[in-house]
Amino acid sequence: MFKLKLPQRIAAWFFLLALAFANLYPIGIMALSSLKSTREIFMKPFALPAIWRFSNYAEAWQRAKFAVYFKNSILVTTLSIAAIILVASMAAYVIARFEFRGRRWLYLYLIAGLALPTRLAIIPIFLLMRSLNLQDTLSSLVVVYTAGGVAFSLFLLVNFFKKIPRDLEDSARIDGAGPFRIYWQIDLPLLKPALATVAMFNFIDVWNDFFFPLIMLSSNAKKTVPLGVQAFFGEYTVEWHLLFAALNLAVLPVLAVFLAMSKQFIAGLTEGALK
Amino acid sequence: MLKRTMFLMLLPAVALYTLFVAYPFASSLGLSFYDWAGIGPKTFIGLDNYRNVLSGFMSTEFYRAFNHNWVFFFWSLVLSVVPGLFFAFLLAANMKGSGWLKVVFFFPNTLSIVVVGFLWSLLLNPQWGLVNQLFKAVGLGFLAHPWLGDMKLALPTIIFVTAWRGLGFYVLVYLAAMLGIDREETEAARIDGATETQIAFRIILPHLMPIIATTSILKFIWTFNIFDIVYAMEGSQGGPAGTTDVLGTLFYRIAFGGLGSSQTGMGLGATVVTLIFLVVFPVSILYVFVLEKRVERNA
Repeated sequence: MFKLKLPQRIAAWFFLLALAFANLYPIGIMALSSLKSTREIFMKPFALPAIWRFSNYAEAWQRAKFAVYFKNSILVTTLSIAAIILVASMAAYVIARFEFRGRRWLYLYLIAGLALPTRLAIIPIFLLMRSLNLQDTLSSLVVVYTAGGVAFSLFLLVNFFKKIPRDLEDSARIDGAGPFRIYWQIDLPLLKPALATVAMFNFIDVWNDFFFPLIMLSSNAKKTVPLGVQAFFGEYTVEWHLLFAALNLAVLPVLAVFLAMSKQFIAGLTEGALK
Repeated sequence: MLKRTMFLMLLPAVALYTLFVAYPFASSLGLSFYDWAGIGPKTFIGLDNYRNVLSGFMSTEFYRAFNHNWVFFFWSLVLSVVPGLFFAFLLAANMKGSGWLKVVFFFPNTLSIVVVGFLWSLLLNPQWGLVNQLFKAVGLGFLAHPWLGDMKLALPTIIFVTAWRGLGFYVLVYLAAMLGIDREETEAARIDGATETQIAFRIILPHLMPIIATTSILKFIWTFNIFDIVYAMEGSQGGPAGTTDVLGTLFYRIAFGGLGSSQTGMGLGATVVTLIFLVVFPVSILYVFVLEKRVERNA
């Protein structure tokens, strides 16, 4: 798009690398500090660890009861993603493939959720969960995330469904397949990459969410990772080696998924923002 | 048969969305006319909650928080759009070996906001935090401040941390929009002798106006909902002395505890939420309008 001369290129690289450094340095410090003793973090903040204390992780894992939080987060995230994908892809299929009265209004009604931050509706959601006897349960989170994830996922998936050529479906229809079978046996397998993108976005959102667990959950045994990290920070304010280790543990799953799928992630992001 | 299958396939999405997204918005409005602690008697009090929030005992706190949301919106918008465009322009030069930077720039965006808040509150700790130690180490000790404990610096610091986390999103979205611009136009200008700066400002920037508008709309909706970052870095009171209190934390204290018993209430909380919604709603409508245009384009 631009053609830069050599001095301009050097300046461009300078700024780009400066931003990359600003992005990575705090995270690098977080990783290094998690392997030091608290004394070392205070006294030699910039140095590499004198001894690499991987035991900090074991200590944080146990003291913060991370096993429980991870189990809860994995459960909530997996169930929410599965539910969002199923619910949103079924609706996206009908909206993308069939003409019916009110189709456009229904679609607009559903994606209006992109402009409605669910957390503004937290009081009625909280009361609703209470009357459904779902207070302080992980199920309440799965329900909220699924409902809240419909708008964005539907929005992405309708576009993907429209890209599937109809000929493929037509031959199945001649063989007598109904709409659900066409959706399930022909379209869904073709949509695997799109579903992976939807799953990834929802994974990051659900795994990282703090607000709904904070409101919905009260018992320790139900806490998810971000809420657990918060509790841990309240308890161990001076043992920084544990705090840093806890932060790293909370970040690790997201980091792994993001690095493994960064290409699809960036493609999906720009698709969602521009199309 | 076909109709029934279609209906059944739409039903879960529509039902869940209606019950847990659409209905709660309407229900919040209804609750704002009641005095109710969440349990026990529920009394209809008309507009009393609104009076209390807008001109009564809650008004000082409300306007202070409201004001902080606006400050937050303005500065975090500036800190997203300006550097976002700048770095997108640099990446659009498509220099050899610059592809990996996209992944690096976006990375902080994938971190949980509370994790970012806790990480930076450690880095910004007045005594042992890395930031102040860095200033002291390079002889700029006078720049060391109690960032999060200073009434003047706390809000700008939180805005800065938010920008640190969010910038990559704007860079990537603007970059994608730039790469979607027709090459012929820029090539023709180049043949006519336009400099790269002129191409950037006179040709590319005007093409980016719609996406800048869209990202500003999103920023507005997001900013009037901020809660996590303030809660993680300054607690539910929005300290020090309420100088970082925003509508999100104010609402949280009213509806879910943190104030005295007489002030805790679902009705009053619903009133604050309804007022936030009134601010956000016109902008949300604008966004739905943008989405509708896309729906038509893709139909």
